This record gives sequence, structure tokens and C-alpha cells, in this order.
Amino acid sequence: MNSFLTRYSSTTPEADIRKAKELYGEDDDVSEMIWGSAGGFGNLAKGVPTFKVPAVPDPTSFLRMHTDDHADPSCRIKIKHGTTTLAFRYQGGVIVAVDSRATAGSYVASGTVKKVIEINPYLLGTMAGGAADCQYWETYLGMQCRLHELRNRERISVAAASKYLSNLVYSYKGMGLSMGTMICGWDKTGPAIFYVDSDGTRLRGDLFSVGSGSTFAYGVLDQGYRWDLTDEEAQELGRRSIYAAGHRDAFSGNTVNLYHVKQDGWQFIGNYDISELHYNGPGNVPGAPGGGYGYDVRVAGRSSANAPEDQ
Amino acid sequence: MDISFALTGKGYVIVAADTTAARSIVKMKVDEDKIKVLSPHLLMAYSGEPGDTVQFAEYIERNIRLYHIRNTYALRPPSAASWIRRSLADSLRSRRPYAVNLLVGGYDTSTHTPHLYWIDYLGTMSEVPFAAHGYGAYFALSLLDRYHDPEASVEEGLATLRRCLDEVAKRLVVTPEKYKVKIVDKDGVREVEI
Amino acid sequence: MARRYDSRTTIFSPEGRLYQIEYAMEAISHAGIVIGVLSKDGVVLAAEKKVTGKLLDMSGAKGQSYGGSGEKIFLLNSNVIGGVAGITADANSLINYARQAAQRHLYMYNEDIPVELLAQRLCDLKQGYTQYGGLRPFGVSLLYAGYDPHYQFQLYHSDPSGNYSGWKATCIGANNGTATSLLKQDYKEDISVADAIELVLKVMSKTMDSTTLGSEKRAYYLALRFVFRKRGAAQIADRETTVEFATLTLDAEKKPKAKIYNPAEIDALLHKHGLAKKDEEGSVAAPIPSDQTV
Repeated sequence: MNSFLTRYSSTTPEADIRKAKELYGEDDDVSEMIWGSAGGFGNLAKGVPTFKVPAVPDPTSFLRMHTDDHADPSCRIKIKHGTTTLAFRYQGGVIVAVDSRATAGSYVASGTVKKVIEINPYLLGTMAGGAADCQYWETYLGMQCRLHELRNRERISVAAASKYLSNLVYSYKGMGLSMGTMICGWDKTGPAIFYVDSDGTRLRGDLFSVGSGSTFAYGVLDQGYRWDLTDEEAQELGRRSIYAAGHRDAFSGNTVNLYHVKQDGWQFIGNYDISELHYNGPGNVPGAPGGGYGYDVRVAGRSSANAPEDQ
Repeated sequence: MDISFALTGKGYVIVAADTTAARSIVKMKVDEDKIKVLSPHLLMAYSGEPGDTVQFAEYIERNIRLYHIRNTYALRPPSAASWIRRSLADSLRSRRPYAVNLLVGGYDTSTHTPHLYWIDYLGTMSEVPFAAHGYGAYFALSLLDRYHDPEASVEEGLATLRRCLDEVAKRLVVTPEKYKVKIVDKDGVREVEI
Repeated sequence: MARRYDSRTTIFSPEGRLYQIEYAMEAISHAGIVIGVLSKDGVVLAAEKKVTGKLLDMSGAKGQSYGGSGEKIFLLNSNVIGGVAGITADANSLINYARQAAQRHLYMYNEDIPVELLAQRLCDLKQGYTQYGGLRPFGVSLLYAGYDPHYQFQLYHSDPSGNYSGWKATCIGANNGTATSLLKQDYKEDISVADAIELVLKVMSKTMDSTTLGSEKRAYYLALRFVFRKRGAAQIADRETTVEFATLTLDAEKKPKAKIYNPAEIDALLHKHGLAKKDEEGSVAAPIPSDQTV
């Protein structure tokens, strides 16, 4: 249940504890101690952490007022938007590929953004939407995943990690968080991908693309995707799909970052300049056909003219 | 864009929901199960605001399960539906309400009666012989007025559902390609291909 | 030894006992008896009400209120009747809690509260008073006679510790040992509600404490008073006893129907079973058709 309901409802175990606290004038810091091992109420450790919210009556509109660059180009905070990210699962693991452009309004703020967040050696998160939101919360997720390892003596599953993140962002729903992320990794069940966004949506799937350029990436990705892709083919597909989005979407571009998650953790495959990919291709890379990805490059010397043979 | 249907027949309820999960113009997923099995004889199809849907459905699912564990018997469909409606209605008066529409179908084993409830995000509840949410409702309700039979066998019921899906496929601009269909009757819940 | 460990309910004695709970049980074993019998088509509850003195003004206890006939038997919800033995003041508080719990359930689930769940609600409360510091347990045992669609007719008993259990026939209060063995002797599986009524009255008549006819002549009070003669015992006329009686059956629509008998109906019932002792002046009220419900 969402944290606000929990916070203000009067029927949950937490509410009972809260009432008990009021009754006995407990100090917040020590209060849970008196219940011993949660006093039979089960594990009351907070499922989601809390985060300070601006002390204004309506934090959402406060945030919007200062961040909406569409309504007010001179707004104080310009949130970085515009991205293409993709991840897919196949026989050989998970491929994660992203672009590296950050835009604030129409301004290209950076061309070397790391949009893959390395949560731990077995988990990757991708970044679309607010760069700060993604970076902050996925780093935070990394801490929680590590704590999970220490507490339970085993790595957190991808399902659990993504559920943690989705519950977390859901508790801030409607307050201006902007995230569209894929939590990718390898656990006891094999390779796994979860799409999690700031609406609170969480979907398990084989193939996702997120961001303003996602439609362009899907166009290439869906057509080339098969479960039994080889590692080389899969990496090439990821690279090419991001290139396609970088080429067509004004808010995506600069370079491609490519990762491959296998049983023994993720591996960084490489960084590829999109212009370079356009004209010359990725170079001497396994799986690449050689030559540029660009349409003109690819079809150079070919023509649709259909003159009769005898002329 | 979510579409869901449900209809009762002789001793059963059929619940159907599309399987698409969309974000803006993109289908993110085409095999999402939007019908929860709440207890051995209770189904709930949910649709509405992304995020809210799953959070609310899981909240309901776990509380109904908790009731079952605590009391050894599950809530009967009328009581479960009343409680679900109450949860939505309470949420509506909270700071951030759940925006979720529901179809709750169940079989009451103590009275041997199927029950179907139409519930919207405002907490309106109505017991009905058939129901629909989303754009599908605009096509299916008149069709069901014409073709629904409370004494229909499961096969006839599924045929009537098929009519609804076909009509939506024929006339609705953006139409889901796949539906998940579940039936609840005296023997419990089962999924069928359609 | 007990002294050191019974000042707080939450403290165990070295033998592992909670004295305050045991004292509460003791209090109950002096209270007027309540007998419950479960049958296939209904549940029957009867209670012995002790009238503490001749000067007590009973004219206010009309015995016909919606909730029940007086001190021992109460309507907890439309599908549950409760019978209490113990400290009346504590019982009132529990009855009120039970009624609220039933209404809360109705509010949340739009159905009559299942009988066992209602018993659980009260037991959760009672248990709390055996554990939290500085509190005195409820000196009350209850019988719950009820109906729900899950388990049909049911009879439960709960005690001050917060334990509860289901029964075919049971009793609480004074002489419960005698009554229990009588019930054991005469209870038959598949007993009908009519036979259950007879059984309850029979056991009641054999176990009730003291029984004399009062000398007051107030018409209402006489109608209320149905006196059992304790077999073979000398009659000592400082206490008088009256009966409360209730049944839970199903009506024509298969909905639970709670019926708490009013004095005239009890009178008629006792007459029917030949248990009422005629007043010396022969002023026992004439039987009244027992079709009134409360």
C-alpha cells in the first residue's frame, strides 16, 4: 500500500504502533526497541525509505514551477531529458545498450553521460527521464542490494531489486519524479529484465526500449530480435538499434555504450561514436558486417532506376 | 486503453482482460496478466492508472489471502467485493487515491451462486450479470443486453465473450491483439484459451 | 506465595501461573449459570439470573428491549446471541465491544460477522488484558450462540484468559460441573431445537441454586419469576432466581432469527414443560402465545 495511506491510515499495524507511541510518549529513535523482535507484529522494518519533501503546501506544483522548461524556458532548474536505452534477453544473457546524450531543453548539455548505472557486478540499471532521479535512486538501490547481501548471505534477485525500486518510486508518485529504467541482471533464475518507471509500473519482459528515441530503437530491435541470437549478433543488434535512435531522434546521440550481462556478471563491451558508426561502422568488432550503418553508406551505388535492359 | 469483460452463466463467471501494457504510443508488453486470482473462488480484473493498478491489486490480493489464512475460510464473493469497494472508497478520500477500475467475479460455494461486481475508481459498486470496462464497454454492453443468457453453459458463455472480442476487433480503432480469459466455478479458477 | 505474584496480571508465578486470571475464573464460577446447547436447526441459551435482594426494584427491567431481557443474555448481532457469566459491569463493556466489532465487520464486509470471528475479536481484547501492564482482566466468560453461512449453527465459549472453544453443549457459572455431566448424559447427536430447549430447561431446573417463591406480589415481577425447586434441598428464602432464555433459528428465508424470550414467553415455556412452580396465591401470569420476537 502506498506510504501515504500507511502514514495516515488508522487500521494498519504501523498505526497501532504509532498510537502506542503516542500513548507512552515514546521517543521515535528507540521506540521499536520495546517491541523486541517486532513484538509479534511481524517485520515492521520500513519497506521503503523516506525522503525529505519541500516544506511547501504543494511540493508537486512547486517543483513543476521551477523545472517545466516547456512552459517557461527561463525556469531555474532545467531537468535533463531525452534518451534512448534498450535491453533484451536472449539465449546468451542480457544485452544493455544506451546512448550518451543529455539535453536540457534544446541544449545538448553533455555528450558523454553514463546512462548505465552499475548497481553491482550482477545488476545494471538504465537511465531515462530525469538524470538526477535515476542516478540518485539507482545508487540508493545499490546500497540496499548490498545490505540485502549482507543480511541474507546471498545476492538479491532481479525481481526483488526491481520491486524495491518500483515500491520506492511509487511512494513518490505524483510528486515529480521522472524515471524510466530497466533493471537488468542475472540471478538464480537466469537472465532477467524488469522495466520500472516513476508511475510505479513494473513489468517483466524479454525486450524493452525506453526514452524519446525508443520507437526508433524498437524499429530495428524488434526486426532483428531472436531468442537464439549468438553473442556477437546480439551485441551488434544492440549497437545498431541505439545507432538508429541516435540518428533519427534529436534528443539522443553522441555515443553508444554497450554492456553484456552473463552468468558471472556484467561486462562492458565498448563505447562507439554514433557518427563513426554512421560512416564507418564499429570497426573490427565481432558480429559487425563491416562498413557504416548509415543509409547512404549502406546503399551506396545502388539505385531504384529501372531502365529497360536494351537502352 | 485497457479493456476488460466479464459475464455470468449457469454456475460460473468468465472474466477476460486484454494483455497489453502500454506507455504513451508504445506497447511495452503484450502478455501482461491483468486478472488476479484472489482466493480459490474469486477473480479480479483490474485496469486504470499505471502503477496504481498493480499496487492496489497486490494490496487486495494479500489482504484477502490474509483473511483466508486467519479464518481458514475465504471471504465469500459479496463480502470480498464489499471490502474491495470499501478500500477504494477510503482511498478516494485520501491524499492520493488509487485510480483503478475493477471487475470482481466469484463463486459462492455456500450458496452455489456465481457473483459478478462492477466497481469503478470512485468506489461505485453494482452487482451485474455482465460487465465491461474501457472502450470495450461501448460495444459490448448492448451486445450483451442482446445475447447474454444467465443459464448459458460455459461453451455458450465463451461464445458470447467471443462475440464481444470480435466486435471490438471489428469496430475499435486501436484494438488489443490478445486477451487472457479466466473462469471461476464450483471447481475453482481455471484459465482458458480463446 | 500467591501474594507476591498476583499484584500484576502480567507476572507469572514461579509455578508458571497467572493468578489474576485464575481469580477471574473463580469469580465466574460463582455467577449465575448459563447453559448453551447446539442442535442441527438452532442454538439454545438459558441463564439463571440471581436477584440479590427483595428490595431490588425490578420495575425498570422490562425485559423486552431489543438487545435482550436483562442481565445475562444479549443480542450481539442479528446472527449472534451472547450469554455472560461473571462481573456484570465487565460484561457490559464486553457486550458493547462485541456489538461494535460486529458493526465494524458489517461496515467493512457488508455481511453478518462470522460467529467464530466475533469470538476471536473479544478474545483478542481479553488476551490483551492478561499481558499489558497495570490492567485487570475481564471477569467474564461468554457463550456465543450464532449462525453464519460458513459453519451454520455454532456455540462458542470464551474465558478471561482469551481462550475460546466450540461446543455442542456447554455451560458456565455456578454448578457448571453438575450441569456439564447432565448435558453429557442427555445430549444426543442430531438433537432438534425443540429437544434442545427441553434439555436446557431440564438441566437448568436440576442445577439451579436456590429457589423460593418471593413474597412480593408485584404483578410484573411475578411474571418474570419462575422458580425452580432444588431437588431435596431445604428452601432458604433469601435469594430468588429467575430465568433468561433465548434461541437462534432460521426463518422462512433461511436468515438467522434470534429470539430472546420475554417474561411472559418464558412463563409459557415453563408451563409447557411443567417446570414453573405455581405461586402460592396462584397468580402466575397466564401463558402468552410465544410468537413475539425481540
